[in-house]
Amino acid sequence: MYKPWISIRKEFYLLFSDKVGLSLMFLMPLLLVFVITIIQDSAFKVVNENKISLIITNNDEGELGKKLSEMLLTSGMFDVIEKEYSDPLQLQKEVTNGNSLTALFISTDFSEKIELKSTQFSQIIMANLGLQESKQFKEINLPFIKFFNDPALQDNYVYSIISVIYTHLNVIEISQMLEGIYIEMGYAGIPPEVEQGIFKNRIQIERHVNGEAFQLPNSTQHNVPAWTIFAMFFMVISLGANIVKERSTGSFMRLKAMPTHFGVIMASKQIVYVTVGVLQVLFIFSVGAFVFPFLNLPPLSMPANALGIMAVVFVSAFTAVSYSLMLGSVSRTQEQSNGFGAISIIIFAAIGGVWVPTFVMPEYMKVISQFSPLHWCIEAFYVLFLRGGGWANLFKPLYILVIFALFCQIITFVKLKQDKLI
Amino acid sequence: MSNILISIDQLSKKYPSAKEESLKKVSLEIKVGEKFGIFGPNGAGKTTLISIMCHILPYRHGSVKFYHKGELIRFTEIKKRIGFVPQDLAMYEELTAFHNVEYFGALYNLSRDQIQERANHLFKLLGLSNVANKKVKAFSGGMKRRLNLIIGVIHQPDILFLDEPTVGVDIQSRNAILDFLNTINANGTSIIYTSHHLEEAEQLCSRIAIIDYGKLIALDEISTLLSDNKVQNLTQLLIKLTGKAFRDNV
Repeated sequence: MYKPWISIRKEFYLLFSDKVGLSLMFLMPLLLVFVITIIQDSAFKVVNENKISLIITNNDEGELGKKLSEMLLTSGMFDVIEKEYSDPLQLQKEVTNGNSLTALFISTDFSEKIELKSTQFSQIIMANLGLQESKQFKEINLPFIKFFNDPALQDNYVYSIISVIYTHLNVIEISQMLEGIYIEMGYAGIPPEVEQGIFKNRIQIERHVNGEAFQLPNSTQHNVPAWTIFAMFFMVISLGANIVKERSTGSFMRLKAMPTHFGVIMASKQIVYVTVGVLQVLFIFSVGAFVFPFLNLPPLSMPANALGIMAVVFVSAFTAVSYSLMLGSVSRTQEQSNGFGAISIIIFAAIGGVWVPTFVMPEYMKVISQFSPLHWCIEAFYVLFLRGGGWANLFKPLYILVIFALFCQIITFVKLKQDKLI
Repeated sequence: MSNILISIDQLSKKYPSAKEESLKKVSLEIKVGEKFGIFGPNGAGKTTLISIMCHILPYRHGSVKFYHKGELIRFTEIKKRIGFVPQDLAMYEELTAFHNVEYFGALYNLSRDQIQERANHLFKLLGLSNVANKKVKAFSGGMKRRLNLIIGVIHQPDILFLDEPTVGVDIQSRNAILDFLNTINANGTSIIYTSHHLEEAEQLCSRIAIIDYGKLIALDEISTLLSDNKVQNLTQLLIKLTGKAFRDNV
């Protein structure tokens, strides 16, 4: 056991003497996790937690404009501020100046036109039912509601907001039409039991996310695993250079003249760097779980499947080590290894969903992302951290990662064999 | 036969990317306890021959056999009996001198106690005791060469291969290395050596082989070769046998 122990210890000593490599593996990802999480946190909060600021200018001379304002206020989606402007352009300036993300301008004839339309509509129904004589009606020009939004808001998000406003408008219009019918029939208004039945007792949508213990995606749940994986793969700078250096200094040649199996040397490197990968996870995850709350960031919430986490961490680290060994074995100089290693990891990270989740990418990029090992590492972490998935869900990403790692190991073996180093 | 240490017969080697063979049907024998020198111009095939003898490079044609007391040594045993001091400073500059020796010693299956004892002795002999626990990157060229040698002999090999062991060192370090090699040779270690320092080779070696363009062109005692060729020293001998033309190979 002395030989493997000394071999492993030597790799640790070499690693600890590589201050740049250590910084890239531990400090750089920590800095990235902090910076990116803080920046993205506000964006995630806009989507998930914060209310959208909405300035309403209600110039309606009737009651319906007020009713719409109240409905938007009680929807819980908006932070409503009411301001008085006669010109919609003045309201638009509020958005342009960044005082609010959205604004709504209700014109003076809002109630009048809706009531007119409702009356007309109810009279048509009464005539159709043979309860009144049919009349000819002029088409009513319904009023516009002007909506302004900050251009930074994504289109799909704006459509969601408009859809919410439409829903409330529909409620008002239907309510007015029904009231008109009841009035035409001689009632004072909609009977309370009808109003209750139609508007209050509505079908509810129950929201279910895959798995039982799901976490709503927030900046921490995405960034901590994603940048940890990025950091793991950045070991290519240290391990790749380590392999190139041992080749160029003749150490591998000397080892070949010794009565020891080359597997011992390579296994030592892999054990040390897989351990480094595990330490990176422990370090960055601990910061995410325990330090983030002090910075007013959401803490990292760990999934219940501890064995699953261990498997994902181990396989991800093994894949990163295998990729680094491959690059180290095919590179002729440290410059090649460092340069290509860093650039390839950045590209893998970009297409793999470290910076932007792959589900927001166009279809062709989603296909390309599948060629990034980082994508499958993130997928495996997402299964546990966001989707509450089990082993069955983990199988595909882990299987692909193991295949990729074995491919890298084979290339490493073939290259070193070709160079007569093993 | 009991006096033979290594027997090389019709050995040829061609690198896949090379046009010509680096070694062409080389045959020679090295005797037990010899200080044997291999010389020749750059690219002659010296390092290739040493690398094949150390089992670093494979070969297809010919044979290389090792003997111990007349018995053929099995392939798996050979690496335990040989020591190799490469031309490159094949060590880890970020580790201390002792950690380097400890690492390579462990790969020779030595115990911690054996390594400690032998390392102390060797550090003392080659003047590195005071810096044994310092990182190698702070060492001078001569100190690194001496450490390179210690790593090659930590397991007390029967045969020591040295590929230009004194290149780029000061006179003191060279003297220490040559004294050390004479000492371990006197204690039974056979030495197979290559260098461009021919005066140094004349001091150290008893018998030499001269290789040029992969062919063995001379093999004998130094004194015999000098008298047969009517020259005064090895430099003149080498110029006479291999010519004055540069051997630049791009």
